[in-house]
Amino acid sequence: MSAAELFVGLLGLGFVLLFAILLLVFTALGGKQQLRPFREIPAFQKLRRAVGLAVESGTRLHVSLGRADLTGPDSAVGLAGLTVLERATRAAAISDRPPIATSGEGSLATLSQESLDSMLRSVSPDREPDPSAGRLTGLTPFSYAAGVIPVIHDEHISTNIILGHFGPEVALITEAGERVGSLTIAGTDQVSAQAVIYATAQEPLVGEDVYASGAYLGASPAHVASLRVQDIFRWALIIAILLGALARLVHLL
Amino acid sequence: MKAPLLLVNTAIAISAGLLVLLGYLFPALGFLSDALLRWAVILAGFALLVGMANLLSVHIGNLRERKKGSLYSLVLIVAFVAALLAAGISTPTGGAAMWIFQNIQLPVEATLMAILVVTLAYSSMRLLRRRSGILPIIFVTTAFVVLIGLAPIYAYGDVPFLSSLRGWISQVPAMAGARGILIGVALGTIATGLRVLIGADRPYGG
Repeated sequence: MSAAELFVGLLGLGFVLLFAILLLVFTALGGKQQLRPFREIPAFQKLRRAVGLAVESGTRLHVSLGRADLTGPDSAVGLAGLTVLERATRAAAISDRPPIATSGEGSLATLSQESLDSMLRSVSPDREPDPSAGRLTGLTPFSYAAGVIPVIHDEHISTNIILGHFGPEVALITEAGERVGSLTIAGTDQVSAQAVIYATAQEPLVGEDVYASGAYLGASPAHVASLRVQDIFRWALIIAILLGALARLVHLL
Repeated sequence: MKAPLLLVNTAIAISAGLLVLLGYLFPALGFLSDALLRWAVILAGFALLVGMANLLSVHIGNLRERKKGSLYSLVLIVAFVAALLAAGISTPTGGAAMWIFQNIQLPVEATLMAILVVTLAYSSMRLLRRRSGILPIIFVTTAFVVLIGLAPIYAYGDVPFLSSLRGWISQVPAMAGARGILIGVALGTIATGLRVLIGADRPYGG
């Protein structure tokens, strides 16, 4: 290993360690300290209301988890989608029609079934598992979208939560939600799909809002803590970028 | 019984995650992370098989219960079996499998892509009705300028001013915005990964 490789590795490790330490500290402080509340994100406010309405009206929530490969760098957005699925299932578990999850990747589909099953059983242990609640609908972008559309049309869906790794094909899913008159909340990690979501979804989640879902839906103190650490690092990066630009301007770099 | 199992699961997940992370940061440890990732790919392959079985069972159920649109379920099952046989007999890159890919899957996906164009144009117009304020107007105007800047105007050709404006939009404000979003996504990814690493998020159950 060369000295440069070692330096870059140590720098990366330092960054991750600092992030992890702050995450642990904020998680520990979470219950004890009254911290500044987060800004309101309308999508999460509407989602909380939609879950209650779905339970009352006997309709279903649909969580579209996208096509994130859990062995690749896009796995984080898939995990964020699973967190939302878990929270939505927990909140709607008493409903006659529990949430339904669709995914375009095998391991994500398996995890969504596990998530749905464990949440529903935590509320009613005698409940029989329903393998059709966590579905694989297609493996290519368009076959996945084509497989999701009939679910939105035929399964009494009142709210679509589209949160995962998508390309521009996500417009077909959001449009299907629009056609049946359901609420559509959508977010992704792909910049091109974010532009599409902004234009087509009723409640778009832009950028890091996708990863804030756990904190806003009350998943655990660690989610709230991670959001605070993200904010600190974001400000640090903004200052670093501005200083870099200034240094470049005065020919220091 | 469940608690010890959860503990073992969490310990395995945390150690595997740490080893892969160290492999990324220090190339000398790459052999360990490579091995773990290879195992993960094999497991993902099995998960894919489970997913396909799930897809079939859902559609067989639709047929059995004569649900709305069960004819499409029948088409899916027939296509699934045909594609499986074709790929099984001629190998996944063999003649029959490639024929299905090139003559059925590609045209169908290209059709969906064409539908997507119309859907997006319609949605952009609807955006102006749905949301008030300056942002939707900027969004639609920018999309329009970029489109016109990309495609030559009939019987006139390229409009130099629009082409250069498109170039400036994509390279300066769009790039700046995209980088800002990507920084947020990267921080979110690190946070999600670390939550799994410290065992606060357990997508593997519990």
